[in-house]
Amino acid sequence: MDEIYHALPNWAQDVLVTLGLLTPLLVVGLIVLRGFHVGPLLLGLLRRQVWISAVFTALIAVSVALGTGLIAQERGLRQGTARAADKFDLVIAAPGSEITAMLAAVYLQPSDLPLLDGATYAEIAAHPRVSLVAPLGFGDSWRDAPVVGTTAGFVDHLSEGLAAGRPFTAEDEAIAGARVALEIGDSFAPAHGVGDAAEHGAHGDFAYRVVGKMPMTGSPWDRALMVPIESVWSVHGLANGHGPDWDGDIGPPFSPAHFPGTPAALVRAESLGATYSLQAEFSTAQTMAFFPGSVLARLHALMGDIRQVMSVLAVITQVLVTAGVLAGLMMLTRLLARRLALLRALGAPRRFVFALTWSYAATLILTGAAIGLLLGIAASFAIAAAITARTDIVVAATLGWPEIHLVAGFVSLTGLLALLPAYLTMTRPVITDLRG
Amino acid sequence: MTGHAQKLEVSSLTVTGDGGRRLLCVDSLTIAAGSAVVVRGPSGAGKSTFLYALAGMIAPETGQIRWGETDIAPLPEPARAAFRRRNMGFVFQEHLVFEELSAPENAAIAALYSGRADRGRIRDRAAAELARLGLDGVGTRRSDTFSGGERQRIAVARALAGGPGIILADEPTASLDRDNADRLARDLVTLARTEGRTLIAVSHDPALHERADRLIDIVDGRLLEAADG
Repeated sequence: MDEIYHALPNWAQDVLVTLGLLTPLLVVGLIVLRGFHVGPLLLGLLRRQVWISAVFTALIAVSVALGTGLIAQERGLRQGTARAADKFDLVIAAPGSEITAMLAAVYLQPSDLPLLDGATYAEIAAHPRVSLVAPLGFGDSWRDAPVVGTTAGFVDHLSEGLAAGRPFTAEDEAIAGARVALEIGDSFAPAHGVGDAAEHGAHGDFAYRVVGKMPMTGSPWDRALMVPIESVWSVHGLANGHGPDWDGDIGPPFSPAHFPGTPAALVRAESLGATYSLQAEFSTAQTMAFFPGSVLARLHALMGDIRQVMSVLAVITQVLVTAGVLAGLMMLTRLLARRLALLRALGAPRRFVFALTWSYAATLILTGAAIGLLLGIAASFAIAAAITARTDIVVAATLGWPEIHLVAGFVSLTGLLALLPAYLTMTRPVITDLRG
Repeated sequence: MTGHAQKLEVSSLTVTGDGGRRLLCVDSLTIAAGSAVVVRGPSGAGKSTFLYALAGMIAPETGQIRWGETDIAPLPEPARAAFRRRNMGFVFQEHLVFEELSAPENAAIAALYSGRADRGRIRDRAAAELARLGLDGVGTRRSDTFSGGERQRIAVARALAGGPGIILADEPTASLDRDNADRLARDLVTLARTEGRTLIAVSHDPALHERADRLIDIVDGRLLEAADG
C-alpha cells in the first residue's frame, strides 16, 4: 500500500491526503443527512440569522486566513530566498559567521566582515579547478541601491547576459540592476556607507556612468549597482589591485601585493564535485568556504521547525475560534429552540433536528473556511508584494497543497466538533421550548 | 390518501410535573372516531398538558393513551414522534409557522423529513389544502408577509398535508380577530367532519364550542365534566 502511494505522482498523493482528511466530514455528513432534505429549512435559518451567521463565518474565515496565509508566506519566502542564492555556488570569506557572510554576499545586507588578503585570493584564483572567482566589495551606495565592486565576469555569471548595454570596461563605468532607477548613459556619484549613515560627497567628484542594465533576477541584486572592484578600492584611497606594470585593463588577474582585500569571493568550480572539493580545501584557519544553499537550508530547517510550531499554533487558534463559534452556535440554537421544538412537535425525527442543526454549523464552517482560504491567499499576495518591495527577493505567494491540507483538516475536525451542539439541540425539552 | 379516524381511549392517566406535582389525572375517557371534541377550562387547568399527552409529546407517569389499537403511553419518544408524524396533525395557538419559508413550503414541511416516496404526496396534498383554505396562488411569498389569520390557515394546511386521521389543536383561534377566528373554527370542524377525522381542540372560543360534537371540561387537571355536545 505504502509502495503504491509513493509510486503516485505528487499531485495524486496530495489529492489523496486531502480526500483522506475530508473523509471523516464526508462520512459524518452522509450519515447525518441520509434520508432528509434539510435544504429549504437550512436556507431559511441562514436567512433568518443572516447577521449572526455572517459574524460566525467571518470569525472562521479570519482564523483560516491567518493559518493559510502564514504557510503560503513562509513557503514563498523560502522559495524566493533559495532562488536568490542560485547563482552563488561557493562563497569564500575570512573566518567568521557563515550567515553574516551569506547575508552580505548573497542578499547585500550591510555587514562588517573581515577581509580576505591578496595571497589567499590569488591562491583561489590560481586553483586549477576554479572556473570563476570574483571579489565582492561592499560599502558604498547610491540612494537606496548598494554599489558593489566586482568583475565583469561576475556580472555576466549573475545576469547570464545583460538586458541592455555592455559590460563595464573602465573604472568609472557601472552596470545597473533591473530595478535601479538609472538608465544607460545616466551618471551617479557613490556615497560612502549605506542608508541614513551614507556620506554623500565622501568620494569627491568621482562619478560612474551606467553602460549596461541587468535583467531581472528576483534577488536583491536587482536593486544594486555593479562597478569595477578597482574603482571601489581606488575611491577609498587603497591600491587598485594591480601593480605598477598594469596595462589599464580592469578585472583579473590581480596582484596579490596590491590587493587591498575583499570581504567575500564568489567561486565557481568546473564541476559539482570540484565545488565540494574546493569547499573542503578552503575551509581552513585562514578561510571560510561555504555553500550559501547549504547555509540557507539550515536556516530553512530552523524556519521549518518554527513553521511547524506556527502551523500547530495556527490550527489551535482555528480550533479555538471554531470552539468559540460552536459555543456561540449553542447559544444560537437557543434562539432557534422554539422552531426546532415546533419541528419535533410536528413529528419530525430527532435525527432531523440534529441534521438541521449540524448542517447549519457545517455550512458556516465550510463557507468560512472557503472564504478564509481565499482571504489567506489574498493576504499572502499583499505581504509577498511588501516583502519583495522591501528586500527585492521575489516572493511568490500561491495556493499550495499544504494550505489545502490544513483547511481540509480544519473543516473535518470542526465538522466533527459541530456534532456536539447538534446533539444538545436534540435533547432539549420540546414542550418548554415550544412555549417559549 | 387520508389516514383513518381513530378512536381514543384513555385510562388511569396521570401526568406529573417538576417536583412530582400532579398536572393531570384522567380516570377514563373515550372519544369516538371521527368526532369533533373541544376541551375547555380555566387557565392552568391542564388543558394543554392533556393535549400534549394525547399527542405523545409528554410521557405520562401512568395509564394508557390508546389511539385505535396503539397505546402510545409506553412508547419511547422516537416511536411516539413517528406515530405523531404518521397519524396526527397539530395546530398551535400562535400561528407557529416558519416565517422565512413560503406558504407551500410551510404546509409541506413534513416532506423534508419523510421518506422519499411520501414527499410528492405531501407536497400535492399541502397545495390542495392551501387551495381549499383560500391560499392558492400565494407563490413564494415568505410566510411572515401574511396576516395572522392567513398564517393560522397555513398551519392548518400543514396539519392536514400528511393526511392524518387525528387533528389536535391548541387554542387555534386565540390569536385571531373575530372574523378570522370564526372562519378558522368553521374550516377546522368542516375539514375534520368531511373527511372523517377525529378533532380534539383546546379552546375558549365559543365559535368552536358551538360546532363541537362534544365538550370536555378540565379543572385542576381533572376531567370534571364530559358532556355530549
